[in-house]
Amino acid sequence: MNELIKHAKELLEKGEVAAVIGYRQVSEKRTKPVIITEPEETRALVFNEYCLNNLAVYLTKARIKLLGRKNNKSFKLAITAKPCDVHSIVALIQENQIDRDKIHIISFNCHGVVKDFGFDFNGDNLSSKCITCETHKPLYYDKLLGEVKETPQARDSALERIKEIERMPHNERFEFFRSEFDKCIKCYACRAVCPLCYCQRCITDKTIPCWIETSSHQRGNFAWNVIRAFHLSGRCTGCGECDRVCPADIPLSLINRKMTIEANNLFSFVSGRSLETPTLVGSFNEKDNDELFM
Amino acid sequence: MDEKIISRVDLMKICKDVIDKGNTLLTPGAADYYVVKDISDIILDTSALPSKISHKSYVFPRTEPVLYYKRSKNDVQLIDINIDSKKIVILGAKPCDANSINIMKHLFNWDHSDEFFNKRANNFMVIGLMCSHFDEYCFCTSVRSSPVSEKGSDLFLIPVDINNYALKIITEKGKEFISPYSGYLKPGDEKNSKLITENVRQPEAAFDSSEVYEWLGENFESPKWEGVGNLCLSCAQCAFVCSVCHCFDITDEDYSYTEGRRMKNWDGCQFGNFTLHASGHNPRDIQSKRYRQRVNHKFRYYVDRFGEILCTGCGRCSRGCPVSIDIKEIVSNCNDNQKEFLK
Amino acid sequence: MDKQNWEPKIVAFVCNWCTYTGADLAGTSRLKYPANCKLIRVMCSGSIDPVFILKAFERGADGVLVSGCHPNDCHYNAGNFHARRRWDFFHKLLDFIGIEKGRLQFSWISASEGKKFADVITKVTEDIKAMGQFTSYKKMNSEFTVDFPADLAELEEPVLQESFDKETVK
Repeated sequence: MNELIKHAKELLEKGEVAAVIGYRQVSEKRTKPVIITEPEETRALVFNEYCLNNLAVYLTKARIKLLGRKNNKSFKLAITAKPCDVHSIVALIQENQIDRDKIHIISFNCHGVVKDFGFDFNGDNLSSKCITCETHKPLYYDKLLGEVKETPQARDSALERIKEIERMPHNERFEFFRSEFDKCIKCYACRAVCPLCYCQRCITDKTIPCWIETSSHQRGNFAWNVIRAFHLSGRCTGCGECDRVCPADIPLSLINRKMTIEANNLFSFVSGRSLETPTLVGSFNEKDNDELFM
Repeated sequence: MDEKIISRVDLMKICKDVIDKGNTLLTPGAADYYVVKDISDIILDTSALPSKISHKSYVFPRTEPVLYYKRSKNDVQLIDINIDSKKIVILGAKPCDANSINIMKHLFNWDHSDEFFNKRANNFMVIGLMCSHFDEYCFCTSVRSSPVSEKGSDLFLIPVDINNYALKIITEKGKEFISPYSGYLKPGDEKNSKLITENVRQPEAAFDSSEVYEWLGENFESPKWEGVGNLCLSCAQCAFVCSVCHCFDITDEDYSYTEGRRMKNWDGCQFGNFTLHASGHNPRDIQSKRYRQRVNHKFRYYVDRFGEILCTGCGRCSRGCPVSIDIKEIVSNCNDNQKEFLK
Repeated sequence: MDKQNWEPKIVAFVCNWCTYTGADLAGTSRLKYPANCKLIRVMCSGSIDPVFILKAFERGADGVLVSGCHPNDCHYNAGNFHARRRWDFFHKLLDFIGIEKGRLQFSWISASEGKKFADVITKVTEDIKAMGQFTSYKKMNSEFTVDFPADLAELEEPVLQESFDKETVK
């Protein structure tokens, strides 16, 4: 931990970055994001199994972007990111939301995080994204910290659930998702917490004409959740934040995961894994599969 | 105040009767208050945390039609809504939740009397249950309440031993409700239950609400708001899980060119377009102003207008906040210049 | 409505440059095809937002057809290529959440393929007829609905017609 603090302090003292976006401990089993602009404040920074937030979400916030300009320092922002959060940063760079040169990525050798605050760190309470994680070492970073540790083993129950849904007949599937989405209260926490939901104005906020009904009845909820999932298909990096924050416990990442699997099957593409390959929905290939069309 | 003893078995008999009569029985679960179908599902746990989502939606639904309309060449015809007057009994309400309807009542009967809210609220029967557990986010004692507060309950339960509850009859409504079941009640002793409630572990008061009130009046432009504004992600999770947040939005939905309905939906003050004017001007254009509004509304404006704090101290908003913003931490640190909101 | 007399409602989103012109050709060639499809002309298959399709299902469509120019024939060069990737995802997503694959169909029809247009419409109509009515949305749509009283039901003139008439008179 001292290394992280030392590094962050150095960055701020030298004026290389305008702010460090990191985590601080609030209680034994809970951390929260913190945006640090003064070198002495860096002592609050931590990194451990309870650093659940995907801080990449802050990089697209106009207010945070302004931080550098306001203090009359450089524009660069430093961010502490888990290897999976680096995927989100890569996806944002790919979609031209941020500039690689303006981001200083402090990443870690990660051995998994808990599924939610307050749980002990072990195989049973491992976050579902960590079960299938292949990048314990970040793909891109400016500073790598932390030691390599073994990730606890756990069963991939999310994939089992997807398979289970796929075995259902269509009307049962529809009924399943209808009842799941019915719980939605439209707080849009899933949208707020997603690094890739960066639209200045979301399609649900456009009400003339009203494509997605703003009311939180079954039809409005269904439309919102389907369109949310569609807008993230081929783009979702699988950080699972939407799942964690949903107050109604809707299995949102189930659909995201399914679409990620489809993207991989159709185009051998996983979002946020490479700075070189163009984004999936922002590009095309003349030789793409044409089976769907008569 | 009248106090009786009732055994758990008899209490369940009353519950069964309530359901059999076609009324709705609500009880808190881990995620939400849910409608009881089978009385064996009832847990009545004093050591449970408040559910993730409050029972608010049963008195103020997240979406409801207020009228239906049909247009013709020269006319618009309206059809009013009739709310079914089913009785809703809420069993084992946390003391922090029990008072929420009373707090919201002020707003819904202020300049205009909201018949939708009032009809539902009048049909509500709250059976409160003492609370014996708190976590780092609970702060009921700081907002003029407590884990043994009877405020807002019609009947109040205190477990005296494994099989028996002390039943306090608080209101006339409660008396009316329990009178058909008087056969189940045994005379109780107030001293016994008092001994229990006095020994309940209570969260320490984190702040003095009158001090917060003063501070908010003087620090509208405090730089502290900016810190929390940078952190907050502008979702309305806090407002929608809250048991007393009551803002709503009116929107029209059409069935066809000529028919439609007017809906009343929950809205949250943290959304960027909550205050967006048709002109394009937005008086609360940045997140810090919106968060300031939230705190001010809860601890100052509502007190000014109705003399009551718009907060029950349940801690739901902080527990579920995607970025762990803790409203208790914010208001309790407001007077401390050393501590910024965000740190 | 009994099952035998039931006719499917199909919404077709077609591109202005190829499929719509193809439909014109089918018309001028006097080709016969079922009248179940309601054509909605858009500028490009790439400009069809998936919310259009969801809305069509919400409002009672039994099937949706999306049709545009053949690959490499797009009036805007690449609109249909972008659309193709998008539809790959969207139709997989709809399948996963419980709307059968056949309810949403796709085709490329050029301006000179009047015959193909008639064939595709016939095939889509037959497919959807075989699948039957799309009832999944019924439960959702019945939420918060009201039966308007009989005295109200008489007033049925669409308001939009009126403003249209006025304009044409001018």
